Amino acid sequence: MGRDNVIPLIETGIPGFENIIQDEDTGMGGVPENTTSLIYGPPNVGKSIFCYQFMYNGLLKNEPCLYITADYGMKQLEQRTMDFDWFLQNYTTNEMLYVIDALSNFSGAKKQDTNTYKLTAVHNPTDLMVKVGLGTRFVFQKSQKFRSVFDSLTIPFAFNPDKLVIRVLKAYTKRIKEAGGAAIITHTEGSVDENIESLLKDIVDNVFRMDGNKISTEKVVDYKKLESRYKITDKGILIGMG
Amino acid sequence: MKKTHIPKLDDLLGGGVPAGSSIMFCANPGVDCEAFGYQMLNGLVKEGERGFIFTNVAEPDSIIYEFDSYGWDIVSAIENENVFFVDGSSSFIGAPSNAKYSFTDYSETEDVVLKAINDIPDGIAVINNLSTIIDYMGDLETVEIVKKWNKAAKENNTTIIYIFTEWDYEDSMVKKLKSSVDCVVELKTIEERVIVGQGFMVAGASWTEPLDTMILFFVIQPGGVKVYIPKILVTGPYNAGKSSFVKAISTKSVSVDRKAVGAFPTTIAMDIGHLDYKGFFADIFGTPGQERFDLILDVLSKEAVGAFIIIDSTAPQTFARAKEMIRKTRAEAIPKIIVANKQDLEGALSPDEIRDKMKLSKDIPIVPAVITEGKGTQECLDALLKLLYGD
Repeated sequence: MGRDNVIPLIETGIPGFENIIQDEDTGMGGVPENTTSLIYGPPNVGKSIFCYQFMYNGLLKNEPCLYITADYGMKQLEQRTMDFDWFLQNYTTNEMLYVIDALSNFSGAKKQDTNTYKLTAVHNPTDLMVKVGLGTRFVFQKSQKFRSVFDSLTIPFAFNPDKLVIRVLKAYTKRIKEAGGAAIITHTEGSVDENIESLLKDIVDNVFRMDGNKISTEKVVDYKKLESRYKITDKGILIGMG
Repeated sequence: MKKTHIPKLDDLLGGGVPAGSSIMFCANPGVDCEAFGYQMLNGLVKEGERGFIFTNVAEPDSIIYEFDSYGWDIVSAIENENVFFVDGSSSFIGAPSNAKYSFTDYSETEDVVLKAINDIPDGIAVINNLSTIIDYMGDLETVEIVKKWNKAAKENNTTIIYIFTEWDYEDSMVKKLKSSVDCVVELKTIEERVIVGQGFMVAGASWTEPLDTMILFFVIQPGGVKVYIPKILVTGPYNAGKSSFVKAISTKSVSVDRKAVGAFPTTIAMDIGHLDYKGFFADIFGTPGQERFDLILDVLSKEAVGAFIIIDSTAPQTFARAKEMIRKTRAEAIPKIIVANKQDLEGALSPDEIRDKMKLSKDIPIVPAVITEGKGTQECLDALLKLLYGD
């Protein structure tokens, strides 16, 4: 394929990402735009941090983000991103960040919906997709270039039949792609059967595996598959530095 | 007949639902379908009926909270033992349950719901959600369970309502499920890259020949399911024929205009009309075409579900302006028809030439028209309805 025909990349905000996917002409790294990516690996290897970095980099570039948090609630999301000096408050105030919180209801926290903060329940996929529909429309109207994160599938898998989670994921990725967005989905390796894991990989366009030391590209559209070492610092993930 | 308490639905169903029948609200993912079941139960309980909600997607407390946010009092009905829960949710998330029935194993679903049906003769049962049962129990097993529940409901004269989210299931299974109930109401999304609206339509009912009409709706809290009168936008450059088009397609219309000094009267604020065509009704908003009124385009275009872009086929110099107006009215994101007006005049470009000059994608229909003679207007409406609802 000629270089003119490859899908352009969008910056992830992760330094050194060019070691994973690189535009040969510019030398810049990123994920192919309007595609969906699965990041999987064992627990605590930085998958969520990848998501924060991807979301925050978009917000800095005026690209709104539809963020589905299913492993922890909104409060923890704000606290965890604050650890890296990424402050979300301004972006919630100016409605660039649209959060679907699938966990706070579940944990008994009493919160109220706002224009850009919607509560749902991890075991109610129908309601989750209603919120995804509303959220996609909201961010799309702000900017036709937007990002989305689904972090993670672990709790949805724990509280729903596996097949249903796969169906939801198909509906989610279709919705984001039709609207022109780029999505990152995270999944904890080994939390479901191998055949379900391979179905997951089939649904998305790109697959990355993080193991705590190395991030590798298992599948990517239009670009070469590469891998590199990474480390987690107080500034987030750094690739190719260790 | 029992009323559904969903606006317009009783009209489509010939007055309501016969007692003892089964009705399935079958929703595209993204449609707010739970409210349909809850609203029907709430309305009937208010009329003195008894009922239950089977849930595998939310705990009873969450459902009580939801009823409250719609402004419906279910708490008194629960206290009076007119309504109870069959809780197939709490134990799966490790929460305690004080529902009348609850279970810890999915294989108990069938029997527990049968017991509940027998508890409320002449009552109303809401099953939310069928899709979770399918993926736990299997396709064929679920169809069999639904048949057994329907049989028990019929014997007890209990009306049973299924909420079903139609994920990517096998067509044959979906067909079997739909044919095992007395009535199917399809809840659909209207999309143009994103969801721009929601509509319901009766796909079939065993007791009547339902009206073939799509009713657009929205769900609000408080309030529940409300019929939505959609807004259709008519826009395009100055002097392309927008006001004439609004008049031509409307049963009633008003033009807020002022005769400008000059050859043509021009719209300075908007044209408003009401369309009633093949069972589809909508409010029509025509925008002004002059750039000095661009500030109000944003306001006029908010929440529109479809658009007609009127262009003067003899004036290619205005096409760039037409594209600018598509952008300013955010019509890129909704279904739209290009109305190639003034086809009777000399020098009028054909739809293909217009598509080429405007660099329009093939998905956007261009309909030739002579609005002043009423030519092409019906084709325009048909083309938009096709985009909104499919074939």
